[in-house]
Amino acid sequence: MSEENWIEVGSTDSIEEEDLIRFDHQDKTFCVYKLTDGFYATDGICTHEAVHLEDGLVMDDEIECPMHQGIFNIKSGEALSPPACEDLKTYPVKVDNDKIFIKID
Amino acid sequence: MKNNIIILGGGQAGIYAAREIRQNDSKSSIKILGKENLLPYERPPLSKDFLLDKKNEEDLYFHSSDVLKDENIEFENVSISKVDFENKKLFAKNDHVYSYDSLLISTGSENKKLSLDNNLKNDIYYLRNLEEAKKIKEIVSNKNKITIIGGGFIGLEIASSLSQLQKKVIVIEIGNQLMGRIIPKQIADLVQNTHIEHGNEIILNKQIEKITKKNGDYEILLNDNSLIETDFIIAGIGSTPTVKLFENTNLKLDNGIVTNQFCETSIKDVYAAGDVSNFYHPFYKRNMRLESYQHAQNHGICAGKNIAGVKTEYTSIPWMWSDQFNLNLQLTGICDEYDEIIERGNDINNGVIYFFLKNNKIRGACGVGIIGKVGRDIRITSKLSEKNTIVDKQTLSDQNLKLNKLMQK
Repeated sequence: MSEENWIEVGSTDSIEEEDLIRFDHQDKTFCVYKLTDGFYATDGICTHEAVHLEDGLVMDDEIECPMHQGIFNIKSGEALSPPACEDLKTYPVKVDNDKIFIKID
Repeated sequence: MKNNIIILGGGQAGIYAAREIRQNDSKSSIKILGKENLLPYERPPLSKDFLLDKKNEEDLYFHSSDVLKDENIEFENVSISKVDFENKKLFAKNDHVYSYDSLLISTGSENKKLSLDNNLKNDIYYLRNLEEAKKIKEIVSNKNKITIIGGGFIGLEIASSLSQLQKKVIVIEIGNQLMGRIIPKQIADLVQNTHIEHGNEIILNKQIEKITKKNGDYEILLNDNSLIETDFIIAGIGSTPTVKLFENTNLKLDNGIVTNQFCETSIKDVYAAGDVSNFYHPFYKRNMRLESYQHAQNHGICAGKNIAGVKTEYTSIPWMWSDQFNLNLQLTGICDEYDEIIERGNDINNGVIYFFLKNNKIRGACGVGIIGKVGRDIRITSKLSEKNTIVDKQTLSDQNLKLNKLMQK
């Protein structure tokens, strides 16, 4: 894995705890979350319909889509509640000098 | 024990029930009897993305035939003409007889029709199923001035789609506001403004006296003697539960099939779910009948659990949405039992929500905003309501304060 895969998202204080921010890179959208035990990243668009998850609700380790209430586990991407049935892709996250990086493949 | 389970009705409640039964019961046979020769599909896109060509037929199916095959769920396209609850049998129009040990009725609801002269019956279009959506899509491509009778969700969603297809659209509503059956007037007015801004004409408080066919077009006479000329008419004037099959049986009907909180009907081993069911909601301590995506899904799942022997109360807080133009409207809970209304926001670009409170607890809320702007707050509202949280009104009314601060850990 080369260093270039790590993309800087922003500073660690740009996200409140149990919340998320949207991050666009090239033609893709991601969501980066701050949970009680650290930072996580997933695709930014719901797998059910093309809706941005940035306006969704983060509860514990879950993100709920604002349109149809499909629920995903943020850490594993697993689709937990219909209508979502396709898992959400997740991405590795690291923090370096108070900056958040995600690794995009 | 291996049971013979039949699900009468191949819509959303039916398919979610079937899969839930299978999750809990690997042995029983599960058969869905559907009136349409299509696997269960999503209806919300029919009036929106399907008309706009953003979604095709294959995008609409809940699950592929492979999923049903893997889970050993049978689907049969058949029309049932008679039910014998005593002997647990269903009789099809093609003379086939189906026996069941447990029956789920998920026949849904059907469109109310305008009472018109017989010679106009085939001239008015309605939208509920895929076939109707296909027909409307095909015909409107050659039409320019379209009239929609009924200013409810379906009519307005079609009006929004047709406007985006550059059609001139007129909506005629009998009531003094749009979506009057369940949406507060404040929200309805915001939605109405958006329609008008996009060029749609909204006519309120008017009844239709007469529709006349003229050289392939139509003239609609309203009760104030005004005349509307139009070349295509679609009506969306509400729906009724599909229960004709059960009239003159022992099944208790009252605005649908009466069920308790376990989806059980008045007859043993017969369950009902989705639009067709007038169910008891233990949280609100009253019966209600809902026509929504979330309800069809969750009620189907709840029925599935109960049929499989996992006794489960239905406690979902009602939630529904409508998308019109770039607006997303959402409603949660019930908005007809309140002693106080609190407004959050006043700009549709940031979202506007009205909370309906009783004894300082949220009973319901309705909001509208540019897509994505109200979903999270409405969802938090559902949770606050469900937990009977006494809410801080300052936080509710101030859009700068986050609603999730009101949630108790």
